Amino acid sequence: MVVSAFLAIYLDDAVYSVASLASTLVLVAILYSLNDAVFAAVFQLGISAGALAVLFLSGETLSEKISQRKPLRKAFVATTVAILLSIPSIFFSVGNPSTTVSSEVSFPEALWNLRAVDIVLQGLVIMTVALGIAIVLHAKKEGGN
Amino acid sequence: MINYVILSMTLLAIGIYGLLTKHHLLKVLISIELIATAASMNFVLLASSLNKAMGEAFLILAFSTDTCVTGIVLALLITVSKKYGTSDIRKLAELEWQAAVENEKGKSETDGDDG
Repeated sequence: MVVSAFLAIYLDDAVYSVASLASTLVLVAILYSLNDAVFAAVFQLGISAGALAVLFLSGETLSEKISQRKPLRKAFVATTVAILLSIPSIFFSVGNPSTTVSSEVSFPEALWNLRAVDIVLQGLVIMTVALGIAIVLHAKKEGGN
Repeated sequence: MINYVILSMTLLAIGIYGLLTKHHLLKVLISIELIATAASMNFVLLASSLNKAMGEAFLILAFSTDTCVTGIVLALLITVSKKYGTSDIRKLAELEWQAAVENEKGKSETDGDDG
């Protein structure tokens, strides 16, 4: 995960960079599912790895191409650095979180009873953004005609 | 055992590194995505280790905001690269500087004609 995230930043070609980011997000989804966070894994896989990758690729088609390519030696050094960066998360530990404070809160209860106001407000924000984009596009279309 | 706090901090560090060093707008957007993923991962995995579902509920709320932000930033990226023909932040800053200088010149010429 760390290696693919580092390559997503390091690689010059935008398509490879987006592919690395998509693989990072898929690995994050797998990590969620391994930790019994199934809903989070499904959302991560569906939204991030699907929609964002498509958005990035569509953005790449309209943005300029970066023609410079880095030599193979530099890519090898970058991969080695990324592997070294991933070592701390594998071998070092700052201690496991205490499970004595655990309380059983189900996912629907957390979503609808505890965060209901947030969800409603967020729905309003998204509706406002969508309305704003529609108004701007409409104004642009009328201005063009 | 893999420690997820260190893992998310590593992802956060990579994102900040990209944000500070890269000049292409798409790379900046990818860096922001990595930072957002690191923060969400920290919430979800810590909550999951405590057997609480609040982290997953938070993730769903964070996803909707994150997707909105990404969509808007991507739309701005496409608009900017179509208008100016480049996605490099340095070139865009130069273009803005040149436009400001030309505006200043135009103003001074207009004032001279009036005087």
